[in-house]
Amino acid sequence: MSTAFRQALDGITRVRGVRGAMLVAGEDGLIVAESLMEGVRGNAVAALAASLQKRFRQAMEAAAVGNPHFLHLQGGGGTLMIVPAPDGILVVAVGTPDMNVGLVRLEMLRAAESIS
Amino acid sequence: MTETRAVEAWTLRPLERFVAESGARLTLLMTPAGQVLAQHGFTRAVDVMSAAALGAAIVASTGEIARMMDQQAFATLNHQGVQHGIFLGAFDTPRGGLLALVVYGPDSSAGLVQLFFEELAQGLIAAAPAEEQPKAVLAANFEDELNRSLASLFGR
Amino acid sequence: MSLVNFTTREITCKIVYYGPGRSGKTTNLQYIYGRVPDSRRGRMVSLATQTDRTLFFDFLPLELGSISGFTTRFQLYTVPGQVYYNATRKLVLQGADGVVFVADSQARQLDENIESMQNLQANLVEQGVDARAMPFVLQYNKQDLPSDLILSPDELNEALNFWDVPSFSAAALKGTGVFETLKAASEQVLRKLSQEEPA
Repeated sequence: MSTAFRQALDGITRVRGVRGAMLVAGEDGLIVAESLMEGVRGNAVAALAASLQKRFRQAMEAAAVGNPHFLHLQGGGGTLMIVPAPDGILVVAVGTPDMNVGLVRLEMLRAAESIS
Repeated sequence: MTETRAVEAWTLRPLERFVAESGARLTLLMTPAGQVLAQHGFTRAVDVMSAAALGAAIVASTGEIARMMDQQAFATLNHQGVQHGIFLGAFDTPRGGLLALVVYGPDSSAGLVQLFFEELAQGLIAAAPAEEQPKAVLAANFEDELNRSLASLFGR
Repeated sequence: MSLVNFTTREITCKIVYYGPGRSGKTTNLQYIYGRVPDSRRGRMVSLATQTDRTLFFDFLPLELGSISGFTTRFQLYTVPGQVYYNATRKLVLQGADGVVFVADSQARQLDENIESMQNLQANLVEQGVDARAMPFVLQYNKQDLPSDLILSPDELNEALNFWDVPSFSAAALKGTGVFETLKAASEQVLRKLSQEEPA
């Protein structure tokens, strides 16, 4: 993993409650870089997150409300967050239900900016 | 138009599930020699028989290159185009080796296809019956029918 | 291996046209493709070099019609003939139900014919196939060339037909012998299929 990518992901995973962060190629749903805890199925999360982002983008285009800047899915057992970065890369984070969503979002936006 | 065909019925459920979940346009299951065992999806995506022959040839070629490199055969191959991609995967079942050729478009992705391909392989391994099916019995005088068929084929 | 669909009653078999380079394997398939109605054939695929030499294979799916209540399909393949394409020849040969060996009748090509025949046998053995049990026919192509340039079918039989399999004189460019060769190969493949069945 390149230093720039590692630093981008480190900023996210340092936040308490984050169980993993990835850079994902949005078009093909494959992992570009990852920093994941044991038990997080990186390949599956990457593929499905990219698919979800694509669908949401289509839905938002259809609704004429622009492109998604941030996706936050809250589940009973945790949180999935996606921030589209330039060049078709997605910053993806997975965390516990009680993680600081605002702080993680901030770090994800920073990561997106740093890799552009 | 979506079409589903299967030479062996046990392949159908895992195949249909795979196409639904991966968002693939068309999936062919075939033997390593390129004979189609089952298909599900948009038949207009490709010419099925030609695609199967070519897909089997790709897998056989890369398998041979892997052998020359003294390593295990490549499990999967992905060719990404601008609009559509193809994915090829090989796996063993109790009924012998099988290949999957997946054609996917913008509704899916290499990652999704790869993800659900593993499930497809597991599903087919679990569904494959162990025993051989009985084979066809051709009539003793099949030659007459064959001659008539060939004569009509060649306009004689 | 033949593929049999009991539900839809379909049989699919693979026949490989083998032989030395420029013996006329692709010409056989092209002639068949040109003669058969659209409804009874699929697309012909040719993986060829820029100079139209077969690089990997040609492929032609044919629908023969109903045999013993089974819709019968044949998939015809050719192999690249040149010596250095042996790796791809082996790949195409995998799973063949029958082989048509297309020999070049020109006297100066005899060594190439023999070498290709030996190569076929070696490749079948390598794949664990008993060559004598494989449905097999010979075609002596280019018999329309001047007689001083070619060997007669008897001479070619002497040189190539060790197992006394059916052999056919042909001039594939004109279509002579193409039909007879395919007919004999189809018959052998289906006969083997019928003999393999339990009583």
